[in-house]
Amino acid sequence: MEAHAFFSHKPHCSLFTKLRNPHLVNQNIKLQPVRCHSQIKSFDNNNQPRRWSFEFLRQTEPLHVIQTSNSPVSMAATSASESASKAVKKVCLFFCPETKALAERIAAQSDAIELRSINWRTFEDGFPNLFIPNAHGIRGHHVAFLAAFSSPGKIFEQLSVIYALPKLFISSFTLVLPFFPTGTSERMEDEGDVATAFTLARILSNIPTSRGGPTSLVTFDIHALQERFYFGDNILPFFESGIPLLKNRLQQLPDSDNISIAFPDDGAWKRFHKQLQHFPMIVCNKVREGDQRFVRIREGDPRGRHVVIVDDLVQSGGTLIECQKVLAAHGAAKISAYVTHGIFPNRSWQRFEPDNGAWLTAAIA
Amino acid sequence: MGQNGEAQPLSPKKQVHLFYCVECEDLARKVAAHSDNITLQSINWRNFADGWPNLYINSAHDIRGQHVAFLASFSSPGVVFEQISVIYALPRLFVASFTLVLPFFPTGSFERMEEEGDVATAFTMARILSNIPISRGGPTSLVIYDIHALQERFYFGDHVLPLFETGIPLLKQRLDQLPDADKIVVAFPDDGAWKRFHKQLDHFPMVVCAKVREGDKRIVRIKEGNPAGFHVVIVDDLVQSGGTLIECQKVLAAHGAAKVSAYVTHGVFPKGSWERFTLKNYENPESAFSYFWITDSCPNTVKAIANKAPFEVLSLAGSIADALQI
Repeated sequence: MEAHAFFSHKPHCSLFTKLRNPHLVNQNIKLQPVRCHSQIKSFDNNNQPRRWSFEFLRQTEPLHVIQTSNSPVSMAATSASESASKAVKKVCLFFCPETKALAERIAAQSDAIELRSINWRTFEDGFPNLFIPNAHGIRGHHVAFLAAFSSPGKIFEQLSVIYALPKLFISSFTLVLPFFPTGTSERMEDEGDVATAFTLARILSNIPTSRGGPTSLVTFDIHALQERFYFGDNILPFFESGIPLLKNRLQQLPDSDNISIAFPDDGAWKRFHKQLQHFPMIVCNKVREGDQRFVRIREGDPRGRHVVIVDDLVQSGGTLIECQKVLAAHGAAKISAYVTHGIFPNRSWQRFEPDNGAWLTAAIA
Repeated sequence: MGQNGEAQPLSPKKQVHLFYCVECEDLARKVAAHSDNITLQSINWRNFADGWPNLYINSAHDIRGQHVAFLASFSSPGVVFEQISVIYALPRLFVASFTLVLPFFPTGSFERMEEEGDVATAFTMARILSNIPISRGGPTSLVIYDIHALQERFYFGDHVLPLFETGIPLLKQRLDQLPDADKIVVAFPDDGAWKRFHKQLDHFPMVVCAKVREGDKRIVRIKEGNPAGFHVVIVDDLVQSGGTLIECQKVLAAHGAAKVSAYVTHGVFPKGSWERFTLKNYENPESAFSYFWITDSCPNTVKAIANKAPFEVLSLAGSIADALQI
C-alpha cells in the first residue's frame, strides 16, 4: 500500500525497507516563536563566538532551531529528484489547530499534498462541535490527518475526526502522529500500574478501516521499542525517525569530522546506534551511590571531540545536563544535544539558555 | 437470614468492588452505604510533569476473582483519557466481571448528523467504550441513565452490554411525598421528551409542549393538555442553558398552572447556567420554579447548587447499587 508520501528515510536503516516516493520533510513545528539571538562560548581555540538563532516555543511544543546558514528545506531537493519519475499520490491533508503551521510546511513541499480544513468549535458544555466541510470532496482520495496529542484534553476532539474520516468513502487513511505521548515516565512495574501508552494504542488501533484497508500510523522515534507491539492488527504502524535530519545537519558543521555521538543510557543506544554507526560512540549510564544517582561514562572517550548527545526526547532536561557535565569533565571540546521530541514541561527549556554554560545546542526536530 | 421472617432471595448477592473517579467520590460513598455488598476501592490519580496521567490501582491483586465496577463521569473532554485508562485496565486484572457505571453519557446533546461532514462525537465516545477489553465475566456491562437520543443505544458494539436505566422512579417517589401529590400534571417540553418518558408516567395527566417557529423567533406552545389549577412538573432528560424550561414555565403559567416545577435527570448547566433558576434571580417570586429536581449524575453541578433553593438532588445511589447486582 502506498501510504507514506512525505517522509524520507536513509536506505541503510534496517527497519524500513518499503518506502515509496520519499520526500524529506522538515518536521519542525512552529508556534508562537520567541526569537533570541545569542552568543555561545565554545571550547575551541580560536574563540569564535557562534551566532545561532533560536525559536523557542511556548508550553510543550518542540524546540526548534533554524540554522541561519542553511535552510533544512533544501534537503528536500535531493529526494525530490528521485521521485520525479514515479507517479505521485495526491493526498488531502487535514490538521488540528496545533499542527497548522507544520501542515502548511508539509503542503508547501509538494504539489501532491493539498490542505483541507475542519471547523473546530465547542458546545457550551465543553464537548466538541466538529464539522468537516466539503466532505463529499474527499471521496476517492487519499486522506491524512496530522495530529498532536500534547495533553490529554486534546485527544477527544482529534479522535472524533480520526474516527470519522475513514468512513467518508476515501481511498486510504494515514494518521501522522509525530510524537506518541504517554509512557515516557511510566513503567509497568507492579500490577496496578496503568499503562496509558497502551490505552492510547488501543484507542488508535480501533480506528475504522477505510476502503484502503487499515489506517497507516506514522510516528517518530517512539519512546519504548516494545510499544510497537501495543497496536492491534487493524492499524499499520510506521515507525519513522528524526535521525536522518540530524545526520544531514551534522554533515554541514565545520567540525563534522570531529563528531562523536553520546547516548545518555543504554535505551538510547539501543534505539539509535545502528543509524549512527559511522560515528565514534560514547555510552553513559546512571549509577547509584547511596541515595544519589550519577551519570558515568561507560564506554568511549570524548576527549577533544565535539560530542552530540542523542536521545528521543527531553523532559526536564536533567539527564542531558548531567551528561554534559560528565562529558565536559572528561575533556569534550564541545557538547551539543539532539532530541526528536522536545517536551519541556513547565518551560524546562529555559535551563538550556545560552548563558547557562557552554552549550552549543543544535537541536530538535 | 431475612428480616421479619422474609424468604431469602433466590440468588446470593454479588460482592462488588467499586472504584470511582475523583469527581464521583461523594456518589460512590453513597452507593457503598446502600449495601453491605459494595466495597469502595481506590486509585491514585496523579500526573506526570508533562500533564499525562500517572495512575495506580491500589489493591490490584485483591480484586482477582471479584466483581468490579467503576463509577465514571465524563464532565469534560479533559477528564476522559485518565478514566478510560483505568477502565481499559481494570477488566484485565483477572476480575470476575466488570461494570462501568456512567450515569450521564455526554456529547451528542446538540448534534445531529444532518450532513456528511458532521462529526458525531457521541459515536466516538460509544466506540471508545465499546472497545473496553472483555474480562473473565464476558463483555463489560455499561450502566447509563436516560441516554439523550434513543438511537444512541445502537452505537455500542457487541463487546459491551448497555443497561439503560432511568431516574424517573426517583421522581415518582418524590412526587408521592408532596402535599399536593393528587394535583400533579406532567409536562413535556417537546415530543422527544414525551417519547422518552410518557410510558413511565402514564398515570399522571399530561401536557405536551412544542416549539413553533414564527418568523425568526421560536415560541413554546402547548400542543395538548391543560395545566390550569395544577402543579405542573416539566420533565426532561437534561438541562443545558435552561432556556427551554424557562419558556415552558412561562407558557404554563400563562395557561393557569398553579405551580410549576422541573425535573431533569442530568443537570449539565454549562457555565453556571443554573443561576437563572435560583430564587434571587426572579423579580416575581411567584413565577419561580417551586422545585427543581436533578439527580447526582453530574457531580460538579451537585456541588454548585448545594443548599440553593429551589434545587433538590435526588440521588441515584440506590438505583446504582441495585444495578450493580445485575
